[in-house]
Amino acid sequence: MGEHETTGIIESIVERLPGNKDIYFWNFIVLMVFTLFEVGAVFFETVPGTEIRISRFAVWTILVVVGIVKGYGIAAYFMHLKGDPRIYTRTALFPVLFVLLMLWGIGLSNPEAITELPSWCTPDWDYATSR
Amino acid sequence: MSGHGNHIENSIWGRAILMAGAIVTIGIVAFAALGLGVGSIKHDAYDEAKDTYYEAMDDPTVTQSELDHLHHEEIDAHLSYLTYWVAGVTIMVISIIYAIFLGVGGFINSIQPQEEESHGDDHHDEHHGSASPIIFCFGVLLFLMGFPEFVEGLRPLLSQGGTFEAGNLVLSTIGLTIIMIGIANWWREDLPFIGHGEQIATSAPFEGEHIRKAGLWVFIMSEVMVFATFFSSYLRVRTEWCTKWAFDNGLENGKPVEGCVSQSQIDLFNAGEHVTGDVVMTASDYLRPGGAAGTGDFWTMLPGAVNTFALIISSYTIVLALKTAKAKDWEAPKGVLRHLLPDKKTAVRNYLIATLLLGSMFIVLKLVEWSHLVAEGFTVGTSQGSIFYVATGAHGMHVFAGLLIMLYLVFKADTIGYDEDNGQGIEYFGLYWHFVDLAWVVIFPAFYLY
Repeated sequence: MGEHETTGIIESIVERLPGNKDIYFWNFIVLMVFTLFEVGAVFFETVPGTEIRISRFAVWTILVVVGIVKGYGIAAYFMHLKGDPRIYTRTALFPVLFVLLMLWGIGLSNPEAITELPSWCTPDWDYATSR
Repeated sequence: MSGHGNHIENSIWGRAILMAGAIVTIGIVAFAALGLGVGSIKHDAYDEAKDTYYEAMDDPTVTQSELDHLHHEEIDAHLSYLTYWVAGVTIMVISIIYAIFLGVGGFINSIQPQEEESHGDDHHDEHHGSASPIIFCFGVLLFLMGFPEFVEGLRPLLSQGGTFEAGNLVLSTIGLTIIMIGIANWWREDLPFIGHGEQIATSAPFEGEHIRKAGLWVFIMSEVMVFATFFSSYLRVRTEWCTKWAFDNGLENGKPVEGCVSQSQIDLFNAGEHVTGDVVMTASDYLRPGGAAGTGDFWTMLPGAVNTFALIISSYTIVLALKTAKAKDWEAPKGVLRHLLPDKKTAVRNYLIATLLLGSMFIVLKLVEWSHLVAEGFTVGTSQGSIFYVATGAHGMHVFAGLLIMLYLVFKADTIGYDEDNGQGIEYFGLYWHFVDLAWVVIFPAFYLY
């Protein structure tokens, strides 16, 4: 709930919805529905009522897409980045570069990133074990 | 921040002590009902199931399928007992921590010298810097410096072995005391704050914006980096593990994966044989239906799923608290809700209490779930257990820290109250709370579902 009103396509759709509810209410509903969808994708091995098997790729895709939608809903509306001055969005996006570098540099590119760290940046394991 | 505006009588802090008493009473009642009451019944059932199983093991007339059935019943009885016992203990422990936090903070402020009443002629709307965050951080520094010894000192007190040495507890206890003094002082400065004199940034890039808000965003970004370290580590180890997903994927793609899927296994799979491999068990293998551990069903996934919904609902209740506080022409709802939200001040307080309860439920369910995982053999001693408990535990600590802050918000909402002028206190806390929700949006699918 920000100090600034937000405008855009989503907001104009919300204005036309019945019940005279605000964007926060509909954002909450969307988050709930998408979470249900996310849990359902993992819980069911086949599409309910059919024999169609939900493949691992489909589950993966659903988890990623739902994560993006939920992340956007929380950041844009609940954290009101959409209505606030741009500087807050820029601040929020600032660490993204470092996060991507970390995910790539440690997470994906270097197989020895954890097990083969040089001694000067590893804890004193003997000391830790003896405690 | 040195907030001014309302004159606060010291006696108002006494209400914090009363609230602490009420909270600890709720905790003890919950423990008595869940942990001792239902827990002891469940423990008896578990003992009975265990005895039946052990007797059956020695009985040559019992078939293997009957034995498996009894074994499953024993496991179910054990997990059922753990659910109530851990829930009862957790509610009591977090209630005691809440009570200490609120009660000690209230007590420290209630014994302070009474301030003179403001007559509006001494620039009380001006904002001044506060030493409280620095005092708080110094306390955290001492607490963490002494933490390894603190844990060693607690072991014998919790009957976990070792010899008790009081010296082990000194540094962290001093740290905790300084933390409490810093927090109490912070409350004393914030409670009278009615929203006038919020510090505004005077230069780029945040020119014209509230300094507290800008600072909070920078803090949140540093938190993003903290969680990114967990994810990069998880990604690293996860890509090396031969999980069920990786094994099945290798078989279906027909490509051998070193240390996971061999060509002979692929050949067998292509010939229509059922192929099994030596796969690594992740938390999701224990929790989701169809997981490699074979233990997952609706009930094992329920705590994580309920927690996800609880965090989303709590994000919405904090939005409602802020929206109500900021509303100039708020009207009480019609119907049943009118009893819960009769006036603006009560409505804000009750929305905050709802958020507090949902967050507390998150902690209780998380620990219940952890107890089940440990009982099934998924411990912190393995690399997959280590990254799971560290990442989800760090998130849980963030939730718990948020709950402690929320206790103060509830106290302020109950005493001074929030309105359109000072409602930004809820807004800034809400940013942190939404971030915790946002982190869970990534943690839940990564650790629980995938």
